[in-house]
Amino acid sequence: MKTARKLMATKVLSLGIALGVAASLTACGSSDSASGGDAKTIKVAYQTTATFDQMQTLMETTKKQFEAANPGVTVELQPVQAEGADYYTKLALMNKSSETAPDVQYEDTFKIQSDAAAGYLLPLDDKLAGWDDWKLYADGAKQAGQGPDGKTYGVSLGTDTRGIWYNKDLFAQAGIAVPWQPKTWADVMTAAKTVKEKLPDVIPLNMYSGKTAGEAASMQTFEMLMSGTPDWLYDYDTKKWVTGSQGFKDSLQFVSDVYQGGVGPSLQQALDPNIFTNVTAEWLPKGKLAMALDGSWQSAAWVDGGTAPWPQWDQTLGLAAMPTQNGQAPGSTSMSGGWTLALGKNTANPDLAFKFLTTAMTKENALSYDIDNSQIAVRSDVAADPSYTKANPSFEFFSQLVDVTHFRPATEDYSQISNAIQVAMEAVMTGQSSVSDAAAAYDQAVIKIVGQDKTQAAS
Amino acid sequence: MTAPSPDVATAALADATSPRPVSMSAPNRRTMRWLSNGVLIGVGLLFALPLVWLITASLDAKPSLAIAVPDVITFDNFRAIFDPKLTFKPLWNSVLLSGGTAILTVILAALAAYPLSRYRMRVTRPFLYAILFGTCLPITAMMVPVYSLFVQIKLIDSLPGTTLFMTASSLPIAIWMLKNFMDSVPIELEEAAWVDGASSMRTLSRIVLPLMRPGIAVVFIFVFIQAWGNFFVPFVLLLSPSKQPAAVSIFNFFGSNGSIAYGQLAAYSIVYSLPVLALYVLVQRGLGGSSALAGAVKG
Amino acid sequence: MTTLAPTPESTRPAPRATARGRSARRTFPLLPATILLAVFLLGPIVVSLYGSFTDATLSGTTAVSSSFVGLDNYVSLFKDADFPVAIINTVLFVLFSAVVGQNVIGLGLALLMRSANRVVAAVVGTVVVTAWVLPEIVAAFAAYAFFRDDGSLNTALGALGASPISWLYEHPMIIVIIANAWRGTAFSMMVYSAALSEVPPEVTEAAQMDGASGAKQLFWVTLPMIRRTIATNSMIVTLQTLSVFTLIFVMTGGGPGVASTTLPILAYQEAFKFGQLGFGTAIATIMLIVGAIFSVFYIRALRTEVK
Repeated sequence: MKTARKLMATKVLSLGIALGVAASLTACGSSDSASGGDAKTIKVAYQTTATFDQMQTLMETTKKQFEAANPGVTVELQPVQAEGADYYTKLALMNKSSETAPDVQYEDTFKIQSDAAAGYLLPLDDKLAGWDDWKLYADGAKQAGQGPDGKTYGVSLGTDTRGIWYNKDLFAQAGIAVPWQPKTWADVMTAAKTVKEKLPDVIPLNMYSGKTAGEAASMQTFEMLMSGTPDWLYDYDTKKWVTGSQGFKDSLQFVSDVYQGGVGPSLQQALDPNIFTNVTAEWLPKGKLAMALDGSWQSAAWVDGGTAPWPQWDQTLGLAAMPTQNGQAPGSTSMSGGWTLALGKNTANPDLAFKFLTTAMTKENALSYDIDNSQIAVRSDVAADPSYTKANPSFEFFSQLVDVTHFRPATEDYSQISNAIQVAMEAVMTGQSSVSDAAAAYDQAVIKIVGQDKTQAAS
Repeated sequence: MTAPSPDVATAALADATSPRPVSMSAPNRRTMRWLSNGVLIGVGLLFALPLVWLITASLDAKPSLAIAVPDVITFDNFRAIFDPKLTFKPLWNSVLLSGGTAILTVILAALAAYPLSRYRMRVTRPFLYAILFGTCLPITAMMVPVYSLFVQIKLIDSLPGTTLFMTASSLPIAIWMLKNFMDSVPIELEEAAWVDGASSMRTLSRIVLPLMRPGIAVVFIFVFIQAWGNFFVPFVLLLSPSKQPAAVSIFNFFGSNGSIAYGQLAAYSIVYSLPVLALYVLVQRGLGGSSALAGAVKG
Repeated sequence: MTTLAPTPESTRPAPRATARGRSARRTFPLLPATILLAVFLLGPIVVSLYGSFTDATLSGTTAVSSSFVGLDNYVSLFKDADFPVAIINTVLFVLFSAVVGQNVIGLGLALLMRSANRVVAAVVGTVVVTAWVLPEIVAAFAAYAFFRDDGSLNTALGALGASPISWLYEHPMIIVIIANAWRGTAFSMMVYSAALSEVPPEVTEAAQMDGASGAKQLFWVTLPMIRRTIATNSMIVTLQTLSVFTLIFVMTGGGPGVASTTLPILAYQEAFKFGQLGFGTAIATIMLIVGAIFSVFYIRALRTEVK
């Protein structure tokens, strides 16, 4: 009996501790007093990996310049060593607690809308109005930094575009004239079929598809295709998602034609989680792939110091813009993403933080960052600089695609909708369902994600 | 016990000279030994096969994911990772984190396991069930509240704080294992000691723990390796790059857009695994007689 | 710890000190572990569990103003067509890679090592442990490189004249099960080695004198003596395997389709890829329940043993 009492005591004690903990946790959201440390410290969070040290370089340079120009201010660099989803997770966690929220952060354009909605980011419009360089930025890049309320939350560091990399040697062997520029989707398909017929051992065309390829499938393949049709996933005027459009079905049909028609990689190859490395480090350099619908950054892997050095890439590969479906104006299309610098909503020193941002964005800094990182320049003075265009032979091609490029409808529901697109792609590429069934299933999924009232049927 | 030479070459000889009660089963035992050796070597080869890639890739200037004999053998990958910021500091942080976690866990778990194993108490069963529940916890799914908690109690970005959390999360399994090992230590020895007036803490440290050294070693290595390979907890709870362990910095080799520096990744993995392998071998050796791996050598 | 002084009055400690003092002293060593567990695990569990009844997200508007949605997350989880697949895959994965694979191979290795040459045992033991020591992501890459279409296994099969098989595409579950058995066996091997070392040699010697054959000796003498260890080890490897994520994610990404999607893969996708914290924790809660169900079986095995 005494033991029982003792047991009770222990139970009460541990319960008390647990409740205390729980109470302190629920209280955490409200502690807005932001004891964010020294008022003269600017915390900067960004991503870094061994193959992506360009941001590290830029931030270190900026820190030096900034501290020299602003005596008494310390810049605290907080690089996050991680890939994609892990970086987003860590950044969101840091932002969630005011004490760890960074003053300046490296922010993906496609996260801006949801992070702005979450109250993590500071609107920059007032500050940008007083910054002379802002007028040098391309309109598309300005747009990509906007939140759901139309305010600007991020300043673009550079962007990317996408097109068709093709192997000139393989094309010559297959009897296709180079330089090659398809005018319609049908032209792309004809070239792929010719390669398949003449060079049976070569994969004619790779376009990422299915859930394993993830966002690359939705954006780089599907949205690239759909942006060449008269329809689009999202209506920016009504702010509603579009269901049942012909463009959606046509895009799915093209995916189906590639994979079911045998001009794409085998299903095993396409659904391999390591397909990205296979394309970049093996298939293209080893002449196993004739055409790749892929990004402007590809050559970064092949240049000296890249992860898969391939000095001849420039002679072997040609570049063609992705045509619109039937050659309708403007004739070609592209998709863009890219990263920005943004300020934390609760920064104690918004002015200093913005000063840091502009220091990172000077012409010189932007120029060397864009060259190092194979980025498409978004500042007109950088894009026009001869040292930029000369640095990499593919820059000129990809830069001109900025005129026809599109951005993702990156609302806060986008990542789930992107997944629904991948599911539809996988269903048709494997032949598990027909194009119309897969499109119908997508419509259902979108309605489930955003709700009936945020969707509209295609006109 | 005889004291066989530690020299591996004389192992068989030493075994033959050690006293055996029955000679009749000797031929049987010899066949058994050859059979065991054969099967073990076969299984060992199967286990080794997938590891070959690490070695070929680490020595190859242009490695891919396929196992291939490098055209030219190079140590460039190793040279590239021999960097204090990239390798040595993170490895040292790993030693602090994993070592701290393993030591703390073993001490706390041994303390907790003793009464659970030795006394019939009313707390025993509920405690064990609660602990069992703790072993199933998907820690990853809890990291958001854990992060908020650590910001609140000012333990964010602190190596000791992270060690405490990792200790807490490995305690349930460690207590279970240690209690199990402790149960198999006969209680008679302790009863004798109690009669002689020794306290329970003294019997624990002087009698029980020495007798269950192999079990403690297993738990220590288990907790150490779990902590050594833990990416997510330190990644979330530590902010400064100078405090991150090697499990986090290994992600340096996964480039953006899916490009992976395979050669350096393989080289880093080898360097990363060596300390733990060394620990394993050391512990096994130090254990002496009771371990199957150390054969008949009594510590 | 050894310096902890014996309490002064404990000259005759065990049998008849006052009941209250005795039980206090006896539970005292539990305290440090209990406090640590209460602070660092119990609190977050309660918050997490509550989170599974909300629509909280990592980003977006619901990151600042999440609301209580009752059982909505669980309802939509049970309606999700991928959910039953993930449950079945998880159970298969745990059953075959841990309960059968790691457990049986580990026990077999530990037994063989007792009768094998010391050097052979040490070398093989180190190889087996290497697979376990490697960071999970690297082990996963090594296994992936081994089984991929133009990987080592198919190259070897080709050399033998067999036609290559697309292992990861055609048999994803079998392959990740094999890979996890490969990676995790070392732990069971070590546990069983430690347990077997406590089986006195005289016991098996005596059995041999009685003419018991090897197999009989194993089943009637050795295994019953380590039954508790078998049950505990099975439970631990089960619970460890339940949360395996990286291995499957790197090798198959949970695909093709959802063919190798387990609960942790599903939870990752929801909680981190989509930032749906509430939904993700709901999946984690289901994992906890699956773990608890498995545990009940082991507890039963342990209890009959005690009686």
